[in-house]
Amino acid sequence: MTKFKLKKIFKRLSLGLCGILAAGVISGCGGDSSGGGGDPTTLKVGVTNFADTLEPTQNYFGWVVMRYGLGECLTKFDEKMNITPWLAEIWNVSDDNLTWTFKIRDGVKFSNGDALTADLVKQSIERAFVKNTRAATFFEYESIAADGQNLIITTRKPLPGMPGYLADPLFIIVDVPTEAERDFSKQGPICTGPYMVESFVKERAVMKKNPNYWAGEVPFETVEIPSIDDPNTRAMALQAGDVDVAVNIAAGDIDVFKGNDKFVIDEIPSLRVVLARMNQNPDRILADPNVRAAFISGCDRETYNEVLLKGTFLPGKAPVPPSLDYGFDQLTDPNAYNPERAKTLLAESGWADSDGDGILDKDGRPLQLDFVVYNSRAELPLYAEAVQADLKKLGFDIKINTVDYNLIDNMGIKGEYDLLISNIITANTGDPEIFLTWYWKTNVDGSNPQNGSGYSNPEYDAKLEQLSSEFDAAKRRQLIIELQQILLNDSASIFFGYPQTNIVNSKRVTGVRMYPSDYYWITNLIKPAGN
Amino acid sequence: MIETFKQNRLFAFYTALVVLLVVVAIFAPQLAPQDPYDGNMRNVLQPPSEEHFLGTDKLGRDTFSRIICGTQTSLFMTICVVMLLAVVGGAVGVASGYFGGKVEIILMRIADMMLAFPGVVLAIAIAGILGGSVVNTILALLAVGWAKYARLVRSLVIKLRNNDYIIAAQVNGTRTVNILWRHVLPNILPMIVITGAMDIGTMMMEIAGLSFLGFGAQPPTPEWGLMLNEGRQYIQTAPWLMIYPGVAIFVVVAIFNLWGDALRDVLDPRNE
Repeated sequence: MTKFKLKKIFKRLSLGLCGILAAGVISGCGGDSSGGGGDPTTLKVGVTNFADTLEPTQNYFGWVVMRYGLGECLTKFDEKMNITPWLAEIWNVSDDNLTWTFKIRDGVKFSNGDALTADLVKQSIERAFVKNTRAATFFEYESIAADGQNLIITTRKPLPGMPGYLADPLFIIVDVPTEAERDFSKQGPICTGPYMVESFVKERAVMKKNPNYWAGEVPFETVEIPSIDDPNTRAMALQAGDVDVAVNIAAGDIDVFKGNDKFVIDEIPSLRVVLARMNQNPDRILADPNVRAAFISGCDRETYNEVLLKGTFLPGKAPVPPSLDYGFDQLTDPNAYNPERAKTLLAESGWADSDGDGILDKDGRPLQLDFVVYNSRAELPLYAEAVQADLKKLGFDIKINTVDYNLIDNMGIKGEYDLLISNIITANTGDPEIFLTWYWKTNVDGSNPQNGSGYSNPEYDAKLEQLSSEFDAAKRRQLIIELQQILLNDSASIFFGYPQTNIVNSKRVTGVRMYPSDYYWITNLIKPAGN
Repeated sequence: MIETFKQNRLFAFYTALVVLLVVVAIFAPQLAPQDPYDGNMRNVLQPPSEEHFLGTDKLGRDTFSRIICGTQTSLFMTICVVMLLAVVGGAVGVASGYFGGKVEIILMRIADMMLAFPGVVLAIAIAGILGGSVVNTILALLAVGWAKYARLVRSLVIKLRNNDYIIAAQVNGTRTVNILWRHVLPNILPMIVITGAMDIGTMMMEIAGLSFLGFGAQPPTPEWGLMLNEGRQYIQTAPWLMIYPGVAIFVVVAIFNLWGDALRDVLDPRNE
């Protein structure tokens, strides 16, 4: 009997030791074995992919079509967010500001060899309007006409942002006539980019060289694009040499690559903001501006960004990040970190801890808020937990509700939250007009579905209206500054921070760049090192 | 009792360890050197030091304190699950074993259905649908696990129900409730206790597993599985965040498994 028992104990112990060893191996092999070598004609890029299909007009999937080096637009943003020519060579607007003429570049071919004409561009843009209602939130047109290589767009009202709108991946130029014999969503559309689709599933795409590319030689025969959604795994894949390039290395891993001469980090301030929408519909606790102001004042955003996120984010204040020149420094935040003020505000609104449980309450209702987050960006749960810990000291009970990313959009529209965190791009058309409209313009019976928070301010709406037809850059800037100040004064949302965005590559390849617009990952500028 | 411990030194030793764990769990808030919820956010991801015995986590909270308090969460959840399993599974098993007939057929077919699913996957599905929380984790594991107990108890009861003393009780007109309580339950209890004790380790692992996947305890609760998941992001830069909760799970699960084994040896009538 005893012998039998001892045997069992040994078995258990050895199993346990194996476990410990395995843990040791895992943590030990984190070193820097950027071995690889591999095939110089193949580029491997570790990404995060949210797109189920490659249909550029579905959802936001056009982003992926563009990031993978497949699709191109008429215009493009450079590293300073200036609008530059791409498939359109040059453009101008008529004196009445209603007629835009885009001259389509000569000599551009689709990957199947078809020449790009203004007529095909017209079909492609019209297709985007038919397939996705989001197109109309950018602009509405009176007519689109093709005249030789000229594309002429006439609008009902002056739209200063037109060249920027057409840089949005929703308006990727696809070869519409080929749709008859090709399933765009599964096989990918025929586009003009340096690479074309060989195979695509959400988890992994394989691209091959476009033999008809218009802007010079394409450096790689094949591009393999595994989608590695977990940031930690992505970092390890890069270290192990499984991929040559990885996007968005998280704060927890960036130190591994810093100061390592086998890797190059391109880190830039992004155009993104991490914000939490605050549901201020009448039955919600956050309908009270005092509570919103107290909430924001209670969050030590400087510490979150500089310490918890190791400076990979800049501390938040206003809707538009300081990387864009919209008066960040001249905006005043009435809700800067000040826990004492927060307490005073809550007391003013009648919140007190009547039952001694450490959570404030009012009329029997506890100060409990539902904070919706998703996990696919590493910083979001961290912000939420930091806020939870900080605000507990003020008597808030924050319930963190982690949901899948795919549910976020709908929850935002329906307003099923008290707070809803997102990491949002603020200037996808070159300036923040669309961003400021989508999330805060008054939503009358679903007229502005993205604003599910119930925020409404007539003064804000009036200024937005003015902005939508203002051509003068200086006046636009002034309006955008005023709009932001209104949001800050109203405590409309909390702006946590502005991410630096990065792309890290092994020195096997060169020319890897991160652009602030976040649209262009795989370009024909990425080349094997030594060439 | 003392005699039993003297005869089974190993059992006595494991029992002492279990008692120690329970004491740690009960007095966790007093034993933890620092507040497990409130850290200094200016002092995050510190390696183990004199001030922070096992380092600090991503919000500057003391890892050692969180592990100590995690004992309470883990043990509380595990014991809840195991007791509920024994009660629910036992009740279903007794009912179907004793009454037989349609009751048995219906209950056992439901149990068969539950047993046909892979346990952890079903638990993930249930916890996923209900949403992550401590209570929902307990419910999910209960829904998955009761069938095993029901099966076991039913077979024991079927063996018992034709014994002379039960028939005698029936002939005497004893109420069914009393028969079950006085004559059936005492005979099956040791087996339930043994099974339950052997299951504690497994359940603890499953709870930690569900929390690791985000279906169990939610932040900021100090729970080992959740701590593992939180540490995962820093596995290369702050490995102590994963290692120590892992060691805690390993040690506690090992203790309960060894204790369950020893308890079975003690209670098993064949050993006498």
